[in-house]
Parts: sequence; structure tokens; C-alpha cells
Amino acid sequence: MAKELKSAFLLVAIVAALLATSSPASAQAIRPKLGPSYVAPRTPDGKPDLQGIWETRNAAAFDVSEVAEGHEIPYLPEALDREQKGPRVDPIAHCKMPGVPRITYMPFPFQIMQRPGYVVFMYEYLHDQRIIQTNSRPHIDGIDLWLGDSVGHWEGNTLVVDVTNLDERSWLDSARHTHSDALHVVERYTRTGPNTINYEATIEDPKTYTRPWKISMPLYRNTEPGFELREQECTEGDNGRPIHPLYRPAPKGDPLELTREYPVKKETSK
Amino acid sequence: MKVGLLGLIVTASLLALVPVPASGQSAAPKAPPYNPPRTEDGQPNLEGVWQPRTSGAAFSILPHPGGFFLGGGSETGVVEGGTLPLQPWAAAKAKELTQHMELDPTGHCHYEGIPHANYFPFQIFQTPKYIAVLYENMHARRIIYMDGSPHPRDYLAWMGDSRGHWEGNTLVVDVTNNNDKSVFDMAGHFHSDVLHVVERFTPVDKDTINWEATIDDPKVFTKPWKMKFPLKRAPQDFEMLESGCFEGERDAEHLVEGLATVPKDHYTEKEKEKEK
Repeated sequence: MAKELKSAFLLVAIVAALLATSSPASAQAIRPKLGPSYVAPRTPDGKPDLQGIWETRNAAAFDVSEVAEGHEIPYLPEALDREQKGPRVDPIAHCKMPGVPRITYMPFPFQIMQRPGYVVFMYEYLHDQRIIQTNSRPHIDGIDLWLGDSVGHWEGNTLVVDVTNLDERSWLDSARHTHSDALHVVERYTRTGPNTINYEATIEDPKTYTRPWKISMPLYRNTEPGFELREQECTEGDNGRPIHPLYRPAPKGDPLELTREYPVKKETSK
Repeated sequence: MKVGLLGLIVTASLLALVPVPASGQSAAPKAPPYNPPRTEDGQPNLEGVWQPRTSGAAFSILPHPGGFFLGGGSETGVVEGGTLPLQPWAAAKAKELTQHMELDPTGHCHYEGIPHANYFPFQIFQTPKYIAVLYENMHARRIIYMDGSPHPRDYLAWMGDSRGHWEGNTLVVDVTNNNDKSVFDMAGHFHSDVLHVVERFTPVDKDTINWEATIDDPKVFTKPWKMKFPLKRAPQDFEMLESGCFEGERDAEHLVEGLATVPKDHYTEKEKEKEK
């Protein structure tokens, strides 16, 4: 009985301490809810903290309809016809950047870094990078890029990235789902737990699809201790062959323990 | 109140991190050392887009003439002393490589490696545990880990592996794990896989960082050597764009025969004057 009372007091004390240290809306802080109402930790400038190394765990890279709403891509008949007559070799086989949103679900990890005014995506795949300003600046004009032009802003707990200026040659997956230069992607990144982000992208392209359609998938934090992004160099041995090498083999051991002596200059008689 | 006290403590500890200039010790009137602004966690703030002033180091790190494919030329180069302590076999190989520009890895869209990547504009981002350097050229990048962790074992990369620390206001970066394929420039200067680069980024005013590197590679050189150039802050509205070098890849065929076959018409008037 005394023991029970003691633990009850302890519980009250802990709850009181938690209430005292947290803000008035503290009921949520005690037990953070998972899912869309999860309140993510904040960066020093007060934005939801998306930082870390993330990866997808699905087959979208092979067929994006796997993660599409209703498992369906609403093609215009003429777009389907154009696709059938178009190139049959995946552009990534020639080390082209995969475009957005494909870069997100390539089966490689990526790291998100946040600084005031910026969210930076560093992808292991092809050492791709997106430096996204969160100032809602207008899109650039007159140039198409493989990864497009990304402009971000925050909506509550969500990072919203508006992507245009995408190169019409990129594919959405290895199953040859294509798009035109009118592609407009709106990505939404929302933390749903300590180790998960919900990723959602609305894909709009009036030259290819009958209506905007949506894909969504969870991103999982890589929690392996000491895990770091490594170099992925697609153009290795570049001679036009499609190559996807794994990490380069390397001599065994610590790079600084390898022989490090300069040759001794020989004395020469004059 | 509680927050106020915490704020006071944070402010006090930030102030403690700012080095106090040793005043009145030397008789000679000396400009006080530049004291860069700090990031919120107290590091000297080097963030921004930086444009190196390399005197055409991408063409040659040594003094070189101007001309087609060589830019304006440079009388000084970026190597301290203007010469490289190459071992005799390496000097011979470097000379041979100038006749085989088709072998230049940058012509095949590979990463440049360090120091070569630093000859092009890059943007620095600083977080408490790492500093990210994102290059426009070849969309290269590196993450300089600042947490005291060691270089990885059994791993080689075009960009090597960078671990850094602060010495006062200077960012010191130790780069190892380099493969033996990246090169210093287009003039045949190469290195081996024991290349060890120590870079020093020292901010000297709000728009300038002095960059210097000590290059240590006992398989190729007879002793370590140094190179340096300044980095200038890019204008406020400067944004880096995507650089996809692999585009079409039609350049490789033009490089096959190298400089030897460049028609004389392609040289500038100044170059023609020199030859007369």
C-alpha cells in the first residue's frame, strides 16, 4: 500500500514537472501524437525539423503507379501514344539526373539539411542536390533543368515545394511513365513521427494527364549508428554503357596508415 | 524569467567564444584581425556562395600562358614557389599526359576531387555537426564532418573524405580517401591514392576567405607543397544552377587528339604576337 502510494506521488511529481517546463499547450508535449497531428521538433529558427538521413522502402522507382492514388495514372490518349513512340532507353541509364519526384524514391538514401531560409536535399544517388529557398521566390524563366526549379514555403508542419522547369526527357520510373515540359510537381513533406516523414506529391501536366494525380509514401529515417552518405559516381568508366556501380573497392585499412614516406634524395658526386 | 536567465547564459557563453584581440602588445600599428560573424552555435560564419580567384588553376596550377582553352593565362599560378616537387618519373608522366587530354577525367564528367573542385563556385552551409559544401560544377558536393569522427576505412572516392575542425577563425579540413584518378588541372598534374590534403579556410574580411592547402603525396612528389588563392563572396542574389556535365557527352570526341591539333586560328591575337 505504501509502495503504491509512493509511486502515485512520483507519477504526480513527474507530471507536475513536465507541465511546469512545457508551454501552456502542454497536453500534447507529454505524449506526442503520431500521424498527421504529430508535432515535429523545431529548428532554432522555429521551423519543423526535417533534418537527417531518409530513405523510401517501396518499389516506386520501378513502377510509380505502385504509390499512385488508385494505382492509376490518368493518361491522355495522345500522351500514351507519344510515350509508345518515344525513346525506349531510360535516361538514368546514361547517368542523367532522374528528375522530381523520381529522385525521392530512387532506392538510395538522402540527407535533408536546414538553414534559415533554406532546405537542402543531398541525395546519395548521382550526388544530386537541390538547394531550395523557402522564400516563395518566383520560378526562373526560360531554362529547363533535370531536377527542375524548386521553390519552398512552410504551411504549418509541412514543407511545401513547388517544382517547375523540369526537363521533358526525364521519366517517372523505369517502367517508362513519361511527362511533358508542362510538368508541375507540388511536394509536401510532413513529419509523422520521430523517424518518419509523409511524402506526398501532386503531379500536374495538362499535356500528358487528364487531371492532376497524387503519389504518397512514408520516408524512413536511417537510424544506423554512424551512417553517412557515400559517393555514388554513375559516370564511372563512362563509355556509354549503362552502369550502376556499387562503392569503389578500396585498399584495406586506414588511409593515414598507408606508407607515407617521401623518397630520400641520393647523394650525387660532382 | 527562466528564459531570460537562459538567454543571458547563452549570450555570455557566446561572448566567451569570441576571441579578444590582444591589444597593445605589439608596437607596430597593426589592423586588428578580422572577427567574422558567428552562426547561432558559435562557429565563425562562412556561409554563402563563394567564387574562387584561381588565375586559371583549372587549366594549370603552375604559371601558364593564355590562349585558346587556357583563358587569360597566369604569371604566378597558384602553387607556392611556382614549381612542383615532382619525382622524375612523375614529371615525365605529367608531360606525357598533356598530350592525352582525352584521358582528363573532367572531360568524362567525373568529380574533380579536392583541391580541383574548389576552383569553381560553391556554397557553404554550416550545421553544428557538419559543414556542407555544394559545388555548381558537376553538381559535386562534400560533407565535412566536424564531430571529431575518424576517416572511414576501406573506402576511396573521387571527392575523398573530409573531416574538419576549427583553429581560431580558420576552418581546417583534412581530406584523405582520395582515389588516384582525379587530377589537379588540365596540364597533366596528377596524384596517387595516398594523396592527403589539408585545407585552411581563413576569413579575412566580410567578402573574402583566404584558402590554402598543403598537398602531401609521397608516391608522386619529393616533399609536401602548398597552393593558395582567395575566395570572394558572390553577389547577394547569386544562385547556383544545375550543372549536368554528362549532357549528350559529345565533347569527349573533340578532346581525343588534344591541344596538339587545335588550329592556329583559334589562338588569340596576343598569342599570335608572342609566336612571331
